[in-house]
Amino acid sequence: MTDLVAYILTGLGIGAGFALVGSGIVMIYRVTRVVNFAQGAFAVLAAMTASTLLAANLPHGVAEILAVAVAAGTGLLVGAVAIGKPGTTPGASLIITLGLGVFAYAVEVLVWGDQPRSFPGVPGAIDIGDSRVPAHYLLIIGVTVPVFVALAVFFARTDLGKALSACASNRYAARVVGISVTRMGLLSFAFGGALGGLAGVLVTPVQQVTFDTDVTLIVNGFAAAILGGLTRPAVTLAGGLLLGVGQTMIAGYIGGAYQTEVTLLLMLSVMIVQAARRSTLQEESA
Amino acid sequence: MADQLIVVDDLVVRYGTATALDGVNLTVGAGELVTLIGPNGAGKSTLVNTLSGIVAPAAGTITVRGRLAHVPEGREVFPDLTVDDNLRLGGWRNGRRGRDTSRIYEILPGLVRVRKQRAGLLSGGQQQMVAVGRALMARPDVLMIDELSLGLAPIVVTELVAHLRELNAEHGLAVLLIEQNARLALGLCSRAYVLEAGRVVLEGPAGEVAASPRVAAAYLGGGVSAP
Amino acid sequence: MRRAALIGGVAVVTLVIPLILPAGQLATYVLLGLAAIVTVGLSLLMGYAGQVSLGQASLYAIGGYTAGLMSVHGLPSLLGLLAAPVVAAAIAALVGVSLLRLRGHYLAFATLALQLILLSVLSQGDWAGGAIGLQGIPRLSVAGVEFADDLSYAYLTWAALALTLLVSYNVIHSRAGRGLRALATSETAAAASGVPVGRYRLAVFALSAAFAGLAGGVYAFFVGYLAPGSFPVLLSIEYVVMAVVGGLGTISGPVVGATAIVLLVRALTEFGTQPGMPSYAPSVLSYAVYALLLVLAMLFLPRGLVPAAREAAREAARELAERRGRKAPT
Repeated sequence: MTDLVAYILTGLGIGAGFALVGSGIVMIYRVTRVVNFAQGAFAVLAAMTASTLLAANLPHGVAEILAVAVAAGTGLLVGAVAIGKPGTTPGASLIITLGLGVFAYAVEVLVWGDQPRSFPGVPGAIDIGDSRVPAHYLLIIGVTVPVFVALAVFFARTDLGKALSACASNRYAARVVGISVTRMGLLSFAFGGALGGLAGVLVTPVQQVTFDTDVTLIVNGFAAAILGGLTRPAVTLAGGLLLGVGQTMIAGYIGGAYQTEVTLLLMLSVMIVQAARRSTLQEESA
Repeated sequence: MADQLIVVDDLVVRYGTATALDGVNLTVGAGELVTLIGPNGAGKSTLVNTLSGIVAPAAGTITVRGRLAHVPEGREVFPDLTVDDNLRLGGWRNGRRGRDTSRIYEILPGLVRVRKQRAGLLSGGQQQMVAVGRALMARPDVLMIDELSLGLAPIVVTELVAHLRELNAEHGLAVLLIEQNARLALGLCSRAYVLEAGRVVLEGPAGEVAASPRVAAAYLGGGVSAP
Repeated sequence: MRRAALIGGVAVVTLVIPLILPAGQLATYVLLGLAAIVTVGLSLLMGYAGQVSLGQASLYAIGGYTAGLMSVHGLPSLLGLLAAPVVAAAIAALVGVSLLRLRGHYLAFATLALQLILLSVLSQGDWAGGAIGLQGIPRLSVAGVEFADDLSYAYLTWAALALTLLVSYNVIHSRAGRGLRALATSETAAAASGVPVGRYRLAVFALSAAFAGLAGGVYAFFVGYLAPGSFPVLLSIEYVVMAVVGGLGTISGPVVGATAIVLLVRALTEFGTQPGMPSYAPSVLSYAVYALLLVLAMLFLPRGLVPAAREAAREAARELAERRGRKAPT
């Protein structure tokens, strides 16, 4: 029984990371209709930056926040290239983000080398019956929940948040009203960068990040976003958490060799089911 | 010419190789009710989109004195946002201080009841009111309305027209109305333009335009009596 | 007429090149040709059927492993080579039935996901040699003649590429090809005109898989050894770069694109293996260049080099004609 609680807590911690990556993808897609294939790079970049800053003796907290800021800035850059040029179709932007993701990978190797890195997180562990849960997982949950709450408040209560939602729900009307859709798009990319970066910074202490990106984090992040239909942040959050808990439970009770493949197959099935429900016409107007 | 709020001079607009507007001249003066009628695809929406800054002209000039607000064809509300949020965003260009919506509820009291509802769930008429209210948030001098009556029940249209007349009479709001229902448009407005295939083929006081044989035949149903 | 002469010229030149290349460079010729074959299929898929595949390398791998496994288990190598495209196409068709309902970005995800799954299956399956790979694939031999040296594989690749281009040409200029072009521009319009959208998509997908599978089969015999590590996701992205840079929806585009990229990467590898550069420098530099080229192409040359070159040639011809026209006596 206590095993279960431990698995759930650990799973929620990892799942929070997935949810953060996924919500970054959703944020960008909603506003710009572009799927950001460079999302994983933000996580890795932030993790690497944080490890460098910590090694340079910057205090915990400051280093992480700076790393997230770097990721946000990178997001802005990616956005500028992907959507800054007028006339770029969402399909072309997708391929551009793919290219930029690969480019980021190259930069990461050049700057940080090809060895896996990590840095220490919250020390200690808590005992739940017979099991120990590293306290860092609680930190992940403890940071992610307020972040999501803050995002929800931002979108519902502030004018800027409403303007972003407006772009997501009706681009034409947004332009009629004078909202700069491009500027909102860039903002969403910056947010996406920050969310991805936050995921990287939070998860690295418990799962090493390497230059070829933490495949688990990214695949599951995308899966969470797809569960949310690329447009629903709440479902993405729930999906991410579920994926995290699911993976930990499978690894704990059955054995952890095929987790990524299971997630991929799940993602494929969800996409196919969703597509079967949608009509061709709807897709073309998207 | 001093009180001309909109002066469109020889405007040419192209979509790729297709010419949508081919040398259009049009004016709207302060406090005027002007209508632009014509068949589908004539370029009426293109003109309004160009005035609104969404489409860039290929040639010609547009001179605007005062503020324009655009009520798009098909309402185009933000479906996932509440009525109140829709209105607030209408004041986007006004900056942070200019987003108070209480004024709109005074002008359009029918919106008070639904202010917290998601705009996507409203009826066509209510959405049209939201779209108009959203445009009014910008405190415009000219309200450009693209297809006011499309898809709306006559009683709803009557109510909207009444609001427009009131705004015109009491606040001096000028209106540029794009309208398929020529009878309605020529009844409400004092001046009219007829746009066909990107060119203005007829213009003048509404009464004259309505009486012209060409318009009577094509847009007013010839000798058919009013319902 | 002029085009036939151009094609003839290119054919002759490319046939002669293997004879004059230094021995070490023949491998580049072969790999370039194989990349071009895969890219021809991808370009058809992206340019005519309007679909993005980020997993084309998985079909390349399937072809390679099919040929390799069959030969390693004693079957005649020619059979393996012929089976490679067939198996790849069959698997693509099977998977495509459910997958091709997805559009745009979902399809991109799905092809990527499939490659990851395939790589995982190959790494963990002992039948495929696991992560270490399939070793000891015998040389290709046809009717007793063994393909023993690089030169023979160079000509085999040339033949395979020529075949691929011929098939592409015929497909594009057939009635089916017109339907495909309609598909690429607007699906609803195509469907309304009676184009069997689903079937055509599937057919193009399977055809592109056949091309990739054929290339994979040749690769297996050429290198003699296969491992999952030879078919990373980045290879799929390479193919996309080649297709985009060369020009989607053209026949020569993929070949131009593949040539440009491979030569560029070669030059970078030279640069990256100089003393003082870290060991991972060559591959990293290549990836940086692929990425940059892809981004620049999508932004500034979205239709690719070949269409852009054709446009430039047309412009030049027009200007020349104008100038001549002005000088002509009236």
